[in-house]
Amino acid sequence: MFERVNVKLNVNGQAHELLVEPRKLLSDALREDCRLTGTHVGCEHGVCGACTVLVDGRPARACLIYAVQMEGHAITTIEAIAAQGRLSALQEALHEEHGLQCGFCTPGIVMTFEAFLRKRPDPSEGEIRQTLSGNLCRCTGYHNIVAAIRKAAARMRGEENHAGA
Amino acid sequence: MKPAAFTYHRARSLADVFALLATHGDAAKVIAGGQSLGPMLNVRLAQPDHLIDLNDLHDLSYVRDAGTVIAVGALARHDDVASSELVRSACPLLAEAAGTVGHYAIRQRGTMGGSLAHADPAAQLPLVAVALNAEIDVASARGRRTLPARDFFVSVMTTALEAEEIIVEVRFPRLGAREGSAFELFSRRHGDFAIVAAAATVALDGGRRVARVGLTVGGVDAVPVSLEELAPRFVGREANAEWCAGFAQAARERIEPADDPRIPAEYRRELCAALARRALERAIAQAIGR
Amino acid sequence: MPGPEFTSIGKALPRKEDYRLLIGAGRFVDDIEIPGALVATFVRSPHAHARIVSVDVEAARGCPGIVAVVTGRELGEWTTKLRMAPPIEGLRPVEMSTLPTDKVRFQGDPVVCVIATDRYLAEDAAEQVVVEYEPLPAVTDMWQALQAEAPRVDEALSSNLVSHQTFSHGDPAARRREAYKVVEATFSQARQTHLPIETRGCVAVWDPGRQHLTLTIGTQAPHPLRTQLAARLRLTESQVSVVSPDVGGGFGQKIIFYREELTVAALARALGRPVRWREDRMENLIAASHAREDFCRTRAAVTKEGRLLGLELELVEDFGAYCFYPANYLARVVAMILTGPYKVQDYAFDVKVVLSNKCGNGPMRAPMAITSWVIEGTIEAIARTLGLDPAEVRRVNMLRKEELPYTMATGEVLEDITPRETFEAALSAVDYAGFRERQKRARHEARYLGLGICVVVESTTYGSRFYKAAGIPGSGHEAAWVRVEPSGAVNASVGLGPTGQGYETSLSQAVAEGLGVDPKDVRVHLGHTDIAPYGMGSRGARGGTAGGSTLYLAALDARAKMVAIAAHLLEVAESDIELKDGRFSVAGTDRSKSFAEVARTAYLDPLALPQGMSPGLDFSKTYDPPAMTYSNATHVCMVDVATDTGAISIERYVVAEDCGTVLSPVVVEGQQHGAIAMGLSGALFEQVFYDENGQNLSATLADYLVPTAAELPNFEVIAMHTPNGRTPAGVKGMAEGGVMGAIGAVLNAVNDALAPFGVVADRQPLSPQYIRALLRGKVAKEAS
Repeated sequence: MFERVNVKLNVNGQAHELLVEPRKLLSDALREDCRLTGTHVGCEHGVCGACTVLVDGRPARACLIYAVQMEGHAITTIEAIAAQGRLSALQEALHEEHGLQCGFCTPGIVMTFEAFLRKRPDPSEGEIRQTLSGNLCRCTGYHNIVAAIRKAAARMRGEENHAGA
Repeated sequence: MKPAAFTYHRARSLADVFALLATHGDAAKVIAGGQSLGPMLNVRLAQPDHLIDLNDLHDLSYVRDAGTVIAVGALARHDDVASSELVRSACPLLAEAAGTVGHYAIRQRGTMGGSLAHADPAAQLPLVAVALNAEIDVASARGRRTLPARDFFVSVMTTALEAEEIIVEVRFPRLGAREGSAFELFSRRHGDFAIVAAAATVALDGGRRVARVGLTVGGVDAVPVSLEELAPRFVGREANAEWCAGFAQAARERIEPADDPRIPAEYRRELCAALARRALERAIAQAIGR
Repeated sequence: MPGPEFTSIGKALPRKEDYRLLIGAGRFVDDIEIPGALVATFVRSPHAHARIVSVDVEAARGCPGIVAVVTGRELGEWTTKLRMAPPIEGLRPVEMSTLPTDKVRFQGDPVVCVIATDRYLAEDAAEQVVVEYEPLPAVTDMWQALQAEAPRVDEALSSNLVSHQTFSHGDPAARRREAYKVVEATFSQARQTHLPIETRGCVAVWDPGRQHLTLTIGTQAPHPLRTQLAARLRLTESQVSVVSPDVGGGFGQKIIFYREELTVAALARALGRPVRWREDRMENLIAASHAREDFCRTRAAVTKEGRLLGLELELVEDFGAYCFYPANYLARVVAMILTGPYKVQDYAFDVKVVLSNKCGNGPMRAPMAITSWVIEGTIEAIARTLGLDPAEVRRVNMLRKEELPYTMATGEVLEDITPRETFEAALSAVDYAGFRERQKRARHEARYLGLGICVVVESTTYGSRFYKAAGIPGSGHEAAWVRVEPSGAVNASVGLGPTGQGYETSLSQAVAEGLGVDPKDVRVHLGHTDIAPYGMGSRGARGGTAGGSTLYLAALDARAKMVAIAAHLLEVAESDIELKDGRFSVAGTDRSKSFAEVARTAYLDPLALPQGMSPGLDFSKTYDPPAMTYSNATHVCMVDVATDTGAISIERYVVAEDCGTVLSPVVVEGQQHGAIAMGLSGALFEQVFYDENGQNLSATLADYLVPTAAELPNFEVIAMHTPNGRTPAGVKGMAEGGVMGAIGAVLNAVNDALAPFGVVADRQPLSPQYIRALLRGKVAKEAS
């Protein structure tokens, strides 16, 4: 049962060939085998949301998936969001609104909302807070994160200018 | 914590699933969304030698209009059920409940079959299944059979599934004219498991008299509790605030929740009454609108 | 002290830290790859209290991937014990081994360490370790702990009372006899835990060639940790480096040097291979460190108008099983500052700290969190008893500006604080009178709205004189260096340990202010003990005052030398030199030297320097802040309580705050939000729940609750900053007062909402079942 298996992962459009035990969590495989450490581990029981990645474009807790399950699926992690080093609208808004402090929960929040804002481009503050409820933050009290998400949503709808854009 | 080691099997068809279950029996567990089983595996509360992955059974992932019922495949994800236009119009109770399961990311992966098979006493979908007396189709190498939801949930995290059976489809009745439903849940935080939850269904006659009423409560017993035996007392009367309060009080008196170190039984009774009242009021409002 | 015309301090600049954190390129301990590193995991006691009869590791040693399995016995050979015996009155000395060998004292106490090639295999082997225990009766309640016949948690002590301090000033007993009324009130805070989203972890690398240990660890206090680590391993401090990279939150949990970390370091040396460790969330919840669980009783002697004549405090804290931190310290601060913004000189306290069979306590953001709730709740109790408006009772007792500086009964001096001003501003912002009208109308509709006020006076900084006066060994000074490189780039460092509070940004503003450059040209280096000067770390809201001030002063020295060089090169008097836009210019002319030219000269052309001036631009500074500085604020929380379910919803939250000169308003506002959130979290959700056998029932995030974004309100912050007269830039310190204020404000709000029922909530968390328990069987008195 400790036999490792070959697993082909598609992460951020790149192929990775892993040799891992079937029980290896996707969160660990991304961090250790793919060397993508932007996905963070906060609880390993699916509550804190720090490990959120996208699987076929939909947010998922990487700690509740075994790497071996992901053959044939497309995984997107935080490292793919800032294309060519340029921050996305959401990342930029988080920066402007001081929506992060220690930054440990931040990638999970970015991944959740990069997906959510594309499905729901004009959310109310209540909807934002409800969707954000799946990501725990101990530093910010969420106020600035919510403000950043509203700002990003407005910009993505084309309603506000980017600073300097 | 990391799970104990297991051998992984990726089922490509139902036949694969049955063959694997036949071979490995009790030493195997099936995994669908993994949102309930994953945490249990990670903390080693469950340590199956074999894990059978159902996620490739795309044929089981659907939401279909089947005439008088809405048919939901076992692999349908909660978010797909909650956002389905068909479910929202034809079976709003199901859409409402599915939209409250956990959090956004959890709803992208959690499945109908997984939630029903897990049978948590406070979970939304078992509660709705019982409230609407959904039909649950289960299958094994021996064939397919149908169980009414009311017979499906046996005890805490225990169902009537036999060895080597898996859920394949669940059928929910359509909501008719002059019918209404509502789902209420109480938890400490948004997205937590309910402490108590209630599902109400109401049918009105041509006026405002109650023709039929159903109330099912979760979190107060080992399985969802249907309070249908209270209905006769309340049928034929006018559906107003006082009526709702009366039914809620009767529900409160009827249930027998257990005490637990952190939540006294009396509190569950109080929640039952509060949620039942709100659910009934909203169900009536919805019925009037239809 | 300079005036308010700062060019960098006080600017709302976005953070330098953000880029790497946003793109997933932060470097937290687990992100740092150390080739060949082994992984440690711990076998922990399932019992709250038990003798260790035997430990059998043979089966575990034979498991795949296992390199070593060690117990407290081997660790006892490689390390010294910890002796915690500061010469403090009333504090009993305690000693603890690296890992226990004779008995375990709480569920989760680490007993065996398994080292493997990966964590999965380590956990498999850990399940094969067989420890035979003889369970002992457990102490799981502070009152039980105080009883003479209670089982003893630490057998080296004669009882579970590890600290007892008393104090009296004036004659509180006489004031009680004279009083119109004596009002008694009680307050209970639950056991909590810090819950940083990044759990504890570290990597230890021993270099046998250099005989040098490097420990990479997320810590708030790198240098003190280095000192302890070296001592415990019998190494010299020059043989140890501690490197703290990005840290996913600390909140006080990452100050203490833990037994697991020492074990990992000792093993790296013994095995000659790097060893890393990461605790999982369950371990973090049951075995890292806990906090709070304190009970207070006040007795207030008052006049008919509600004026305080005398005040007495009784406090008991359940400190858990081990003193990772001096047991007297946290409780003592509560007693020391309790009277807050109110005038009362006849004051006495009795503070007891007991041991129990639970995870040991450590300082958690605002260790004195209960303070403001206690004094403000006492004021509320006075108002209730006398039938007075709680706002008026505050006005009767609160210090006025003219009465400052004010020496509290405990000797603390309050100056440069503005409680009354923030109080009036906050009440005005929420339209206090208008709310009372709305509340009355709502009550007629059986809706229960409440408004809670909490005036906070927050002790911050803790200079050396504070420690001396309190008899606590240790210093409150800070150390920094500022260096201008030959190219004109600016590097700086200070002995703080960042855990998310934006020091790279705010401290660069302090340096930039002193030096006269742009903050983006300043790089602040933190957390590496070989680079940063020996500092006391981050705690007690000292970062801005102690760290920022030291850097500012060092930067002023740097500017002074550069001005002298520029003046010499330009052949004018120093007073004719202006530094603007990166150039040293002669006032009224276009003659100038660039910042870079002056720097280059300092390093590479020393003969061009003024007579007697040494080359280079390297400035070290230490600064000992005042014994204490104080910030203050008034918090107002408005709630709606659903009496059928007990659910509390926060409708509005306003805080008017004065935290002195603010280095970065962006960072300060974020800190205020976070502190308030943590206070609300404790008041409404958090509880480490032990059953009567000492089993921790809150070992997952599904059971230990902190609020999500859906439970918290927006925070309206009214900035009313006034400088401190004694610190170099007028900084006061902040970041804990929000916790204190939120607890008091929400508790008072809920009690205000439930007043018609004649009930008083006196404990946290305000779970809905607790609210229902208060209301059960009660009816609301008709609204008048």
